[in-house]
Amino acid sequence: MKLYRSREGEATGADTKTQLTTLGSETAPGPLLVPNSAKKISAVIVAACENFAAATSFSAFIRLEGPGLPGGPEVFGVLAGGAAVATGGNAAVLAQTIEVDIPVTVGNEILIFGEMAGTDIGQTSMAVTLVFDK
Amino acid sequence: MSKTLLTEGDLTAVDTRTLLTTQGSVTAPSLVVPSGVKSIAKILVAVAAEGLADGSATFLLRLGGNAVLNGEQAIIVGAAGRIAVQAGSDAAPQVGRLFELDAADIEVSPSDTLTIAGEMMGQDLGTARMVVTLIFA
Repeated sequence: MKLYRSREGEATGADTKTQLTTLGSETAPGPLLVPNSAKKISAVIVAACENFAAATSFSAFIRLEGPGLPGGPEVFGVLAGGAAVATGGNAAVLAQTIEVDIPVTVGNEILIFGEMAGTDIGQTSMAVTLVFDK
Repeated sequence: MSKTLLTEGDLTAVDTRTLLTTQGSVTAPSLVVPSGVKSIAKILVAVAAEGLADGSATFLLRLGGNAVLNGEQAIIVGAAGRIAVQAGSDAAPQVGRLFELDAADIEVSPSDTLTIAGEMMGQDLGTARMVVTLIFA
């Protein structure tokens, strides 16, 4: 069986590490702790989209860090985009599932960060689900 | 043998947990987990916004209720963004392709009730529409 834990937020500046700490209507869900019965992270589900507010190109990635990851931090590229003009951008993006096998330490925290790289396109909304196997 | 359950609805406000309780012409479908099943084996979700406001957002599916044995599960299913067009231009439409989560493997209790909720998170892009299919096994 699997357990799903999520966080989201906005990366608003290029080359700036931004922690994803909220979950929509839950403005302070607290630390994302490895569930008691979890054996590993078996997948990471990610969705991200920019607001097209500047004529430029960028890429985006997420970082997983914290004492819940005994093997140390992990980084995943999740999005790249660009706009020739700062008007008229419009997109819907489906989530992507990345299958992984990441050891975890039960009861410890995992920190999730989002980051844009390149030049600032405005902002990128990013959301991440960690899928734990029990 | 697989069994399916579909619900859909509008997400009209950002950062607001919205129950998805309808099924088009069926306004109140049963949200009871079918007897004989043990898990939600697969999840299909399509979501997109009308794009009437500038910004970027992500979309969340919440599966809860007393049928979900390990508590509410929160799953990211999509994202969208929009910026205003030049004067006299029309914006392109948003097309929400189908997100398919295979091997979802969420433990459920047969004959108990699910709650299925969606959220638009981040910034309000105007009304979004979400449709969710749960496939039980």
